Amino acid sequence: MTDTTGAPRSDDELLDEVAHLWTKLDPPPADLADGVLARLAAQDLEYELLTLVESDQAAAGVRSATLQRAPDETGTWSLEYLGPGFRVQLRVSRRGRQARLDGWVSPPQPMTVMLSSVLRKGGVLEAQVSDSGRFEFPVAPAGACRMTFVTETGGRPQATPPFWI
Amino acid sequence: MSEVPGSTASTGSGAPWAAAAAAFTRWREGEGEGLEDLVRLLSPVLWQVVRATGLDRERAEDVVQTTWIALVDHADSIASPQAISAWLCTSARREAWRAGRHASRERPVEDQVLAYGLPDHESPEEQVILEDEAEALRRALGKLPERCQKLLRIVAAGPRPNYQDVASTLDMPVGSIGPTRGRCLDKLRHELTLAGGIR
Repeated sequence: MTDTTGAPRSDDELLDEVAHLWTKLDPPPADLADGVLARLAAQDLEYELLTLVESDQAAAGVRSATLQRAPDETGTWSLEYLGPGFRVQLRVSRRGRQARLDGWVSPPQPMTVMLSSVLRKGGVLEAQVSDSGRFEFPVAPAGACRMTFVTETGGRPQATPPFWI
Repeated sequence: MSEVPGSTASTGSGAPWAAAAAAFTRWREGEGEGLEDLVRLLSPVLWQVVRATGLDRERAEDVVQTTWIALVDHADSIASPQAISAWLCTSARREAWRAGRHASRERPVEDQVLAYGLPDHESPEEQVILEDEAEALRRALGKLPERCQKLLRIVAAGPRPNYQDVASTLDMPVGSIGPTRGRCLDKLRHELTLAGGIR
């Protein structure tokens, strides 16, 4: 029943049409859901958040390491996070669209490290922390990412707030 | 409105409520993608719910985000997966109402009234080219008293009924929402009939 010439319609049908009209007249921003997901990702959800304690470029007043980067930006920057009982240093190296990520956990302890894109589904990379506390992601995704640390002793995973690669 | 099958903001067969309940269940069972699916399904609905209260676009986006954060914080209190859409829409409406009260201290009253009206100067809707049916509906809605326009937009957005929220948003007694809704819909039908007669 979509006859607009005045044929009787049920209240619900008419309201459905009003609702549908408004979806056309006032569509949400195209990135509405992405904005929600980014905001949720920034919240402390199922994991404990690590604290960003140092970021070389932010300290130098150039640019925060947590901000978006140009797609072809080249350079190396470092971040340091503090968790319960350990510290993580990250070094991000980017050359054009290629990026790699090196990390050190101190004191060294066996952990699985996961690197995931905040907005894109799937594509979670995994690495193990070595005896010396090192881990690496030779090919890191670009864009907003977060890193999650899972210890072998269990407990809540520890995650960094989103940072840009 | 048959030109777009599966229109999202409806109570009809195309409504996302069932899919939302399923996504919510998956999330509660530990599947992270369930939440993402839920966000993508219902954020456009929440947008309509919030905008219907007269909030500007920027504040509306913020309210939608806040609503999702509230869900993550209070997911345990939601009785059943079927209740998820209603819970989100109710939270969004209340949050919008709260944000709107706050905003109304910052800008003149006329602005707010205009923001409800048709057409709305801050939205792209005047440029929207509609098919004949939708255009006829828009014209008919535009002829209704402003209060009816507001009420119908609010009632139409999200799952029905939501009289309690509508009542607080429009500052009307709950008992009068049903009859007022009925009168507004009758006026709308009347306008549509008149328009059909002219064509």
